[in-house]
Amino acid sequence: MSFRTRTSPTAPPAALFDPPAWWKVALVLFAVVIAQSTIAPHVALRGAVPGLVLLLVLWYGFRTDVVGGLLLGAIAGACEDALAGPSGAGWTVSTAIVGALAGRSAGTFISESRTWLVPYVALATIVRYGVYAIVTRAEGQPIVLPTMHAHEMLWQALYNAVLAFALLTFVPKTGVSRVGLR
Amino acid sequence: MVSIFTDRDERKLFAVIGAVIVAAAIALIQIDAARSGKSSFLNSALATAIGFFQTGASSGLDTARDAVGSLLQAPHLIHDNAALEARNRALEAENASLREAISQQPDVAAIARTLQAEPNGIVAGTIGFDPENQSRIVTIDKGWQAGVRLDAGVIDEDGVVGRIVGVEPFTSKVLLLTDAESKVPAVVQRGRWWGIATGTNTRVQLQYVSQDAQLKPGDVVVTGEGRSFHAGLPIGRVVQVFHPEGALYQTALVEPTVAFGHLGRVLVLPH
Repeated sequence: MSFRTRTSPTAPPAALFDPPAWWKVALVLFAVVIAQSTIAPHVALRGAVPGLVLLLVLWYGFRTDVVGGLLLGAIAGACEDALAGPSGAGWTVSTAIVGALAGRSAGTFISESRTWLVPYVALATIVRYGVYAIVTRAEGQPIVLPTMHAHEMLWQALYNAVLAFALLTFVPKTGVSRVGLR
Repeated sequence: MVSIFTDRDERKLFAVIGAVIVAAAIALIQIDAARSGKSSFLNSALATAIGFFQTGASSGLDTARDAVGSLLQAPHLIHDNAALEARNRALEAENASLREAISQQPDVAAIARTLQAEPNGIVAGTIGFDPENQSRIVTIDKGWQAGVRLDAGVIDEDGVVGRIVGVEPFTSKVLLLTDAESKVPAVVQRGRWWGIATGTNTRVQLQYVSQDAQLKPGDVVVTGEGRSFHAGLPIGRVVQVFHPEGALYQTALVEPTVAFGHLGRVLVLPH
């Protein structure tokens, strides 16, 4: 006896995954990384820059699954580590984790409503910073000016949440809901 | 034989394990490089590839910013021009007297010598910033192929910018003077009092200055002779002095001479 599933020609899966083509994502990631390291510092808000890379990873995670979010998060984080200072693997690990978490949340109630998505983006920003701090500390690097970093982290969480709200409201294609945002 | 997993579950599990392995491999490469204090090949490859595009994006951004700035300033330019011409004549006269004064002050003269007689310096442009603004680090468009070396000092026409902390083939990373991890030996010009200039993310703090030093706002702070810089390069001016009760040393807040928000061309000193 076997429990192997058999696909029925008439029964489509309940959740329709519609991941964008990988090459399109790669191009967008490249453009976003460039923008993050050249334009974003010019629009910093109280020392906090908009997390364009994080928004892309979260969006992709919600549009795909754990594997997609994890992989894009790791690649995007590695790009940030390459351009940042002595961050080691801080952004690689932290971005991969929040990407995987976003993938895990894909198709759940979170992705169906702005009311959940916007706070989720803020929370993801904070979680990412937390993991970044743990990883860099584990690498033996001192966390200098922790109060200032905490301050910037909170501002970036707010910044990203506002950006996410604006994108979800004014650019319908960025939606991650499979039935339409509420 | 009863199969516990379905084909779909197995594929999914395999994909998750594969993704974790890939992510872990990337992380380990980065950690290994960070521990050895070197740049990983991954970092080098990414930084090199992205560096070219950063150059293009920065050029475009600068052009756009200049164009917008010019348009906004146009109505004031005519009025400002006349005022500036008058001021220029006054400054030229003042400049002549200051040149005489400079020749009598060894540290300031050293600044002039460093800026004017630095034929081996490497001129570079700022093309990028720390993506997450966690550290005050900028990327410049010259790497080891142009002769940039680790720990080389970086200056601009106003004074000390920072030092090189990462070198790739075509780009390098400069740890700005305002970064909290930046530490530069410094001297208060007026009394030759020594200290360490460290960053506060926005300004510079002069630490470990002897309690008997009579610091006061307006004092000029310059570099002391060190690994990255020659003596006498301007760092900034003291804006506030702190005398902690019972402390062995006093601390001063220093306003840097360099406008870190508008870094353009910089000079990498030979190392």
